[in-house]
Amino acid sequence: MTNGTAYTADLKEALTGDRESRLVWLCNFEVENQWARDYPGLPAARVSTTAATVQRMEELGALLAEPSDYLLLDRPLDPGYRRYVERLGLGAPTELVTRAPAGAGGTSAAVLDSPELLEHLRQLARKGARLMPMGNSLLEERISRLTGLAAAVPDAAVFERVNSKIYSRRLAGELGLREVPGSSCTTVAELRAAVEQGLADGGPLIVKDAYGVSGKGLVVLDSAVKAQRLLRMVDRRARKSGDDAIHVVVERFLPKRFDLNYQFTIDRYGKVRLDFVKEAITAGGVHLGHVMPPDLSAAQLDELERAVELLGARLQQDGFFGVVGVDALLGADDLLYPVLEINARLNMSSYQGRVTERFLRPGGVALARHYPLRLAEPLSFEQVAGALGELAEPPAEGGGLVVTCFGTVNAQSAAAGPFDGRLYTVLFADDRERLGRLDDRVAHELARLNTPEGTP
Amino acid sequence: MERGSVISAIELALGEVLERPVSGLAEDVRLFEDLHLDSTSILELLMALEDAIDMSVDPEDLDMEDFRSVGTLTDYVLSQQAATSGR
Repeated sequence: MTNGTAYTADLKEALTGDRESRLVWLCNFEVENQWARDYPGLPAARVSTTAATVQRMEELGALLAEPSDYLLLDRPLDPGYRRYVERLGLGAPTELVTRAPAGAGGTSAAVLDSPELLEHLRQLARKGARLMPMGNSLLEERISRLTGLAAAVPDAAVFERVNSKIYSRRLAGELGLREVPGSSCTTVAELRAAVEQGLADGGPLIVKDAYGVSGKGLVVLDSAVKAQRLLRMVDRRARKSGDDAIHVVVERFLPKRFDLNYQFTIDRYGKVRLDFVKEAITAGGVHLGHVMPPDLSAAQLDELERAVELLGARLQQDGFFGVVGVDALLGADDLLYPVLEINARLNMSSYQGRVTERFLRPGGVALARHYPLRLAEPLSFEQVAGALGELAEPPAEGGGLVVTCFGTVNAQSAAAGPFDGRLYTVLFADDRERLGRLDDRVAHELARLNTPEGTP
Repeated sequence: MERGSVISAIELALGEVLERPVSGLAEDVRLFEDLHLDSTSILELLMALEDAIDMSVDPEDLDMEDFRSVGTLTDYVLSQQAATSGR
């Protein structure tokens, strides 16, 4: 038995014109790495500290996909977690698992290496199913080509064009939206000029890769010494490679009240609708999660809606349709900066849409956050549910919690010794005060799972 | 440069990145799992390390294994110095 929700059906209608479309979801987090291939950014070591965790985040799709849909995964959902998802009353999609766990190319490459799965996808294509990647790149286009699964989203070239932070800055400027002071750079000389000018104008700067994602590919320059270190490094790389390209934006670090994230959807015919606005919550400068509704005035919400109309119309002209997430900021001076960056793909918040529709009551509040865990060994879902006690039951009476991703708890367990896990959740309460108390309670219960071993 | 001096330089650079004093690190302390460095702080660490030990570090030459622990990063620095002085 599943409870009717409209969020995903609305999205299907916007993308395909058919609320009953059967989608094969491919939650390719960090698809930016594919788009970035021809756009060198900041120097970076060949390390990925969170690759295993990000890989497991594809399981977030289990709560967005409908029971008639399919979810591509590089390993099955934990059976206990799947039973939990079914108990929530939203139903769970059919899992389609690759032949072997994903390597550096993620689940898309693992699908391409799974002949039986490709054959299964061909059969689904013949029945009219569509491929629904989080964002489309050459890898997902190859899956479409090999299986006949038409993508429910625009082609990879469009995604690549509209997801650069350089494109975001250009659009904000051209549409007359309030811009964060800064500049776009495509060469080392432009970067040097932008950094020197930015530091002369005062204040710390942030340099971000055109295709950086979630806290990666960025550096904060809060002194001339640090700026010179960076410039020295990129100069040296340019001399060594004979290529002075570097695709980054340089922006002033603005004092703020809080960060914002909002989502809108552009349908195939160009109609734009605002889906939600969320406020980022931090503690001691550390990002905790997003709360909705945000603490914005009616005038500020109006200003955001106007920005959505302009951005939506322009993105549509540039060939894009589908889900668009935008990071924005409310300055310490209460001025709204409506475009820090455009993420024209599914966003973290997109995955919470169906859960929020199901459990957020009118006038209530929701907090999406993850709880960090420090574990000595992998945990079963039942152990986590045991620690949560009655909070492991689906939310009732307007209050409670939904676990939105479990695989990330054990993602780093291959490390020798204690490892970090993350439990992704959405919390619901009647008001912000009760939400804060619920958050404290969840943190307290989960802390019992942590290993007592300290950090050096 | 002596091994102990390299570790001291790494501690100095780590202190700058983590914004807290860092000293007396054992070589088996893990940079990611124990000190919670991430890809952003790795770039800052390498930038700070260049100043602390007066050598060139190209981030793109390093991979996961070099950052496994304080000890493996020390090995990397010493191997670079040996390569430079051997030229």
